[in-house]
Amino acid sequence: MSEFHDDYPSYETLAHHSEEEGKPIRKNLWRVFWYMLAITIFELVVGSMAPSQGWSGTLGLKVLFIGLTIVKAGFIVMAFMHLGHELTFMKYAILLPYVIFMSYAIFIILDEGVYSGDPQNRTKVDPLLIKQQEDLKAGHGHHAAAAEGHGPEHAEEAHH
Amino acid sequence: MSHSTEIDSKQAWDGGTSPFGVSYGKMMMWFFLVSDALTFGGLLVSYGFIRHKYVDVWPKAENVFTHFPFIEQHLPLAYVGLMTFILIMSSVTMVLAVEAGHRNDRKKVTIWMFWTIVGGATFVGSQAWEWYHFIIGTETGALRNVWSEELHTYVQQTVYGANMTVNEYGVPQFANYFFFITGFHGFHVFSGVIINLVIFLNVLKGTYEKRGHYEMVEKVGLYWHFVDLVWVFVFTFFYLL
Repeated sequence: MSEFHDDYPSYETLAHHSEEEGKPIRKNLWRVFWYMLAITIFELVVGSMAPSQGWSGTLGLKVLFIGLTIVKAGFIVMAFMHLGHELTFMKYAILLPYVIFMSYAIFIILDEGVYSGDPQNRTKVDPLLIKQQEDLKAGHGHHAAAAEGHGPEHAEEAHH
Repeated sequence: MSHSTEIDSKQAWDGGTSPFGVSYGKMMMWFFLVSDALTFGGLLVSYGFIRHKYVDVWPKAENVFTHFPFIEQHLPLAYVGLMTFILIMSSVTMVLAVEAGHRNDRKKVTIWMFWTIVGGATFVGSQAWEWYHFIIGTETGALRNVWSEELHTYVQQTVYGANMTVNEYGVPQFANYFFFITGFHGFHVFSGVIINLVIFLNVLKGTYEKRGHYEMVEKVGLYWHFVDLVWVFVFTFFYLL
């Protein structure tokens, strides 16, 4: 094995710290974990309330969920992946290219993708599938919609 | 934590220091993660595009993922919530292993890496379980017009579960993207568990103790956190929205 830094201090060992210094670091990591857990539970509670409250698909809900996701992503990248403690140059070398490329991808799909909103431009969808989804929206529920379809079959069985 | 200017001369640039303040290996891991994140970003953007194209027939996650192991009740999204918790938890145990590595505490690194591997393996298993239920579908199924090769026409029949061509819950595109993106992510988790296992064995062997630092644990940790990071987005776009 070629270990080239036995006598010199190196970047690998610069991150070393003592037991005492480790205590506040661990405390901070656990705090981040509790924040993330709280956000996830909040998301699940709001997500499960959404259909009955009529929030499903609303812009406010989307903005809330995407915003909270970005907050969680920030916690992971900055605290767990330690990027928040790296040099500023390193931070931007990682984050800026990604943010620029993704902003462009999102912009271009929003700008150039509008044509697909025209029903003529999409593949024909099975009318039975459309009916199923309409029934679901009307509140019949998945099982009720499926049971309806089973009706004739059961009738046939009765004849035998 | 502090970045001293006193570093290995072989790692320094001409100015006597690296402007990035990290070792070569760690920087390359970051660059790899950026490129991998662009792949996932591209997949999620294309998912958003197709989803909005078929927005009126796109199934709602709470109508699809309603099962919980060993419980016969209708519990929408409960299991995926638990899976998310397990993955966040394994991210915490990973970062604690990294922190213990900074103190050259071999025993603690071993313990935390062990729990990270357990969490990762549990997550992969849960995803397999979720796929299984998505593929076999409900007992009632749903009516669809399915193309028949023999009759050269569409025939009405009941379909169960989801595959690449039919999906009892909604448009097949939902299943296509679900299989591709969660599959790609699941494969990342699987690779992460394998890599973690290799590093774990090295820790047991004392390789890093001899080397004087646990930076390999930190690098594999970066990959593991990235897997958690992707799941945070997959969870939002597939299950919550």
